[in-house]
Amino acid sequence: MSTATVTESPSEVLVEIRDLVIGIQRTRADRLILVDSADFDIRRGEILGLVGESGSGKTMVCRSLIGTLKRRSATIFGGTIMFDGMDLAKIDERRWRSVRGNRIGYVPQSALTGPNPVMTIGGQLVEAVRCNRNRTERDARKRAMELLDLVHIRRPEVVYDQYPFQLSGGMRQRVMIAAALAQDPDIILADEPTTGLDVTVQAEIMKLLREIRTEFNMSVVLVSHDLALIDDVCDRLVVMHGGTCVEVGSVKEVAQNPKHPYTIALNRARIELATPGTELITIRGNPPGVGEWPSGCRFSERCEFVQDDCRVGASPPLLEVESNHWSACIHAGDLGAASE
Amino acid sequence: MSDALIEARQVCVTFGSGSRAVRAVRDVSLHINAGEAIGIVGESGSGKSTLARVLAGLQRPDQGEVLFGDESIYQRGRAYRGDKRRLVQMVFQDPYGSLNPRITALSTVAEAVKFHGEHSRSESNRLSLELLGQMGISERDAAKKPRQLSGGQRQRVSVARALSAHPEILIADEPTSAIDQSAQAQLLNLFQGLLGDGLSIALVSHDLGVIRYLTNRVYVMKDGAFVESGLTQEVFENPQHAYTKQLIASIPGRHLQGAGA
Repeated sequence: MSTATVTESPSEVLVEIRDLVIGIQRTRADRLILVDSADFDIRRGEILGLVGESGSGKTMVCRSLIGTLKRRSATIFGGTIMFDGMDLAKIDERRWRSVRGNRIGYVPQSALTGPNPVMTIGGQLVEAVRCNRNRTERDARKRAMELLDLVHIRRPEVVYDQYPFQLSGGMRQRVMIAAALAQDPDIILADEPTTGLDVTVQAEIMKLLREIRTEFNMSVVLVSHDLALIDDVCDRLVVMHGGTCVEVGSVKEVAQNPKHPYTIALNRARIELATPGTELITIRGNPPGVGEWPSGCRFSERCEFVQDDCRVGASPPLLEVESNHWSACIHAGDLGAASE
Repeated sequence: MSDALIEARQVCVTFGSGSRAVRAVRDVSLHINAGEAIGIVGESGSGKSTLARVLAGLQRPDQGEVLFGDESIYQRGRAYRGDKRRLVQMVFQDPYGSLNPRITALSTVAEAVKFHGEHSRSESNRLSLELLGQMGISERDAAKKPRQLSGGQRQRVSVARALSAHPEILIADEPTSAIDQSAQAQLLNLFQGLLGDGLSIALVSHDLGVIRYLTNRVYVMKDGAFVESGLTQEVFENPQHAYTKQLIASIPGRHLQGAGA
């Protein structure tokens, strides 16, 4: 497996998310905004990390990419998600059926509850294979076996007839990845795919996602709150806080030269870098709750570099501070010196 | 060791019987000294949570014994009789499931304070607020019910509830796995402070970063038995068992260590 990271030359942009606003219409006049001006690209063949604390909106952004916001009674209020000439923010459910699963695959958060418990693994995969194309039963079975093999499940012919409860968490997540791959999508969305799995299993799943990326030149969007994990597997990352994107850039750039105080704070709070026995550096306060966002920069109440002009106006937009590196901090230019 | 506060000797736990018996814990011995933090690591199904429950007095072992002071905790009837029950407290993994959803954070803690200390209502409320305050839960948040609190806050309420008994040992089963990174750091700082105050902690986790940071000694568990144990630093720097090596190699972000953050 190759460990090389993607070359610096910007590759083809697959999905372009601009000023995306997601929220819940509570009454005719009352809107609860969950995500506000999400702004980033997904490029072909990259692994893009989406990090943020709970309530930062990362799952909502994810759901907007597979058109299942409605099931959470949320709606897109504004912005565009351009994908292959379509605006995913505006297409109807009929068009979604040709995109969801077909072009954009989804690996759910919980491997343990993800698969249908009363259906065999084979049955679920055949369903995933046949949902969009007219394949014969036999063809679909062959493809399902292929998929199981692809995600390195040993003895696929045995697993094919098994039920989810007979598999371990890691195996179940592999099956979910196989199902996501069924239609050869361009993008795979993996929403915290290793929550609740062991570190050794997590490492295997990550290896698998990287292989898939390399083999099929597929894009993978990895949602996680674990910055260390993102650092290990991703090429680029998007940091979310308070429903908005605060920093976007290559993993290497953002790790070495973070341009937003939130990212700096996250980097410092990392436990795997801490010296045992010393006090961990924490981020002041709690993540701002949905609907309780302060005016101005939403990190201002927790920021150690905060200045008066941070607290006024609208949430600051992402600005390109260096080539291919965006930050939403209005003082991004002065941070280099301050964070040393 | 002589100054062991609690000691498990050749503990075995088996679930089920006959051909379907699962030997969850096999012949495990460990001790916790006063004021130290030990870690128990292992993958899911390795028996670490069962072992934690054995130590907490919630799961009677089939064989072996658990000594607290000089006495076995599992005598006739209930474990941890009398005052000893107070001295060993547990924090559970799931902050969503381990708090009563119908009562406020304050009542949750006050209930335990009242139980252990026989205080009046106003007195126990005052003590609870003080305790919650030390955990970083404001008076305003203390009046909230669990669903209105974040995962990290809920976990801190659980810790406050456990501490209300003034225990000597805190057994924490995966306390950080369900909460965000910044909340995790807050909780670990809290534990670090408690260690400084002389509390002993047994931390069960599959998160090796947390284990490395907080504990002095570590036991590595696989298939119900310990495969390796020793000083945390030594085990991490020079793992002996193949399984430990694999575990340590799987920690994300490991390549950054020592590179100077």
